[in-house]
Amino acid sequence: MDIVGISINHKTASVELRETLHLSNDEILEFIPLLKDNIFSEGFILSTCNRTEIFGIPKLEKVTYKDVQKHLLEFKQVEGLSSEHFLNYFSCGAVKHILEVASSIDSLIVGDSQIHGQVKEAFQLSRDLDFSGTLTHKLYEAAVRVGKRVITETQIGQGAVTVSFAAIKVLEKIFSTFLTKTALVIGAGETGELAALHLKEKGIGNLYITNRTKSRAEALAQKLNGKVIDFNSLTDSLDKFDIIISATSSDNYIIEYDDIKTMMKKRKGALTCIMDIAIPRDVNPKVANIDGVFYNDIDSLNIIVNENLRKREKEIPLVNKIIMEEMTSFFKWYNTLDVVPTIKDFRDFFEEIRRDEIEKIKYKIHDYEFEKVDNMTKRIIGRILHNPTWHLKRLSETGTDYEAAKKYSEMVRELFNLNGKDDNNEEE
Amino acid sequence: MSKLLQIMSYWLLLLYFITFLSYTYNFFADKKILRNIKRIFLFITLLFHADYLVERTMFLGHLPIVTQHETYTLLAFSIGFTYFVIELLSDIRGTGSFILIFALFFQIKSSLFIQDNYVVNSILENYPLGTHVITAILGFTAISISAAYALMYLLLYKNIKTNKFSVIFERLPNLEILEQLNFYSIIIGFILLTIAIILGFAWLPSAFPNFNYLDPKIISTLFVWLIYGIGIILKSRKNIIGKKFAKFSIYGFLFSILSLLLTNTILSGFHDFVN
Repeated sequence: MDIVGISINHKTASVELRETLHLSNDEILEFIPLLKDNIFSEGFILSTCNRTEIFGIPKLEKVTYKDVQKHLLEFKQVEGLSSEHFLNYFSCGAVKHILEVASSIDSLIVGDSQIHGQVKEAFQLSRDLDFSGTLTHKLYEAAVRVGKRVITETQIGQGAVTVSFAAIKVLEKIFSTFLTKTALVIGAGETGELAALHLKEKGIGNLYITNRTKSRAEALAQKLNGKVIDFNSLTDSLDKFDIIISATSSDNYIIEYDDIKTMMKKRKGALTCIMDIAIPRDVNPKVANIDGVFYNDIDSLNIIVNENLRKREKEIPLVNKIIMEEMTSFFKWYNTLDVVPTIKDFRDFFEEIRRDEIEKIKYKIHDYEFEKVDNMTKRIIGRILHNPTWHLKRLSETGTDYEAAKKYSEMVRELFNLNGKDDNNEEE
Repeated sequence: MSKLLQIMSYWLLLLYFITFLSYTYNFFADKKILRNIKRIFLFITLLFHADYLVERTMFLGHLPIVTQHETYTLLAFSIGFTYFVIELLSDIRGTGSFILIFALFFQIKSSLFIQDNYVVNSILENYPLGTHVITAILGFTAISISAAYALMYLLLYKNIKTNKFSVIFERLPNLEILEQLNFYSIIIGFILLTIAIILGFAWLPSAFPNFNYLDPKIISTLFVWLIYGIGIILKSRKNIIGKKFAKFSIYGFLFSILSLLLTNTILSGFHDFVN
């Protein structure tokens, strides 16, 4: 099999290097014609923040991964990258790698489902640019199947693997619904915004934002349809909140033990969850000792994240099994590629003889007799060709003895002069 | 026939044990295949138990509510059946082992000590007694289940509080749901106990010549009823919530079991139906 490809990803290069080789959609639109003109007859490009993958079928035998690397580096006008930053693949290895990427076991976060959509998009872009041939399309189908199967047949995508999702997971173990709950997000920076967004997505009843710079809190509140409370009077109104998420860049605690103690008195013991995802921490961790208060900081949330990542890694053997099954199926199909034209030519050859011979008696007998003879000869040809056709198909489909399939295919072509027949046809 | 009942009783114990094990194993291992099989085990156990109770009623000629060990087997059935219905309706499958352990406990006590030959007080031919006893048993079942939910609440509470995200964290429903289930079970238990007490007061004085309002079982049941009544009021007024309510539920259950044991063993009164 001739497929060749390169990969630069989180395992081989730093984020800075990956960024330099990242291809935007516009760049892919520009780069694919270049590849088509020079090295590949068909293929695809997948470029995300964590990886850039370029795979294709070489136009000429002499094309290797080095040509692909060279074209990419020239196109991006990048210097300082050496071959050690690339992983190079060909034949079976290339197919296996593509399926591993599609399965998400090669992702930075194992089981990250985002890759499934990205793989689909990459193949679709290739099709839109007429860069997708039979082989690429078949590979696309296998990749999509792998993506679907790993979701339904394994637990590789289960469990929270980011701090913000881990925080939501803890909240879901405390509260039965978010609809009736009131949450406060302290800090309107990137982390605070993400936390607020997650709460909104989970359907939080009331969302409040507070920030030292009030205008930033107002902007975020407006964006998420929330309300703003004054940062300076924060501790006085804490008792209103069932959920408090703090993500400021403050160097000192902004909520002290006594603040929470007072708050719990006002709340008459109603459960409160405090997620302190700031570094350094915003809330005095001693509040965890107060009854009815659930306090989590980055470290405690990371316990969940690491545990889930460990569970996902345990699923990798199952995913590999799926990949092997899909690879077998793909190569079964691939191995028939050589045999199928032979079978077709073989059958056409016999059909032509049959038709020639039957034409000779067409006007010598009645129509109904002709129909009978026509059917009978079809059956004879069918029975004669059944065994050789079946054996050729079987040899190619098992995929274990590709050489034998090729040998038999060539022998059939030689014995029945199938190549010569093509020549004769061309001469005609 | 007595031999058959004895064999059935041991088989029943074995079935409860297998069901409890399958629920417990599934709680820790969460095997896909066991998720439905454990429910089938429970269903078979309950069917067998129902058959056992019918056979026993037919053999003895009265409902099996006379001795304390008969009461225990009925309690086990009642707990198992109530849990089965809750699981079917809510599809919350992670709480089974916490509840079925109570059923197993009562069935162990019953299977090991139950007797089939005894002389029964003729008063038991009367149906109001059956209704009185069955509602009382169902009431205690609800109380047992509420204690199980309270226990789950405390375990999960501790897990979250100490950042131990173990299998308890993974499998149990959230704290608010557990608190609700605990509260609803107590309300149901309270209503059933109320009915049992009303029926008792309405019927027992006329049925028993030696009826006494100071009978230990009446007093202890009234105490249980009063404790849970106060608990319901306090919970409704949000005076005790969360962990405090869970603790209340467990202490209430312990008190009711203790009083049940005491009144059935040491402090027996006219409520003893075995001659």
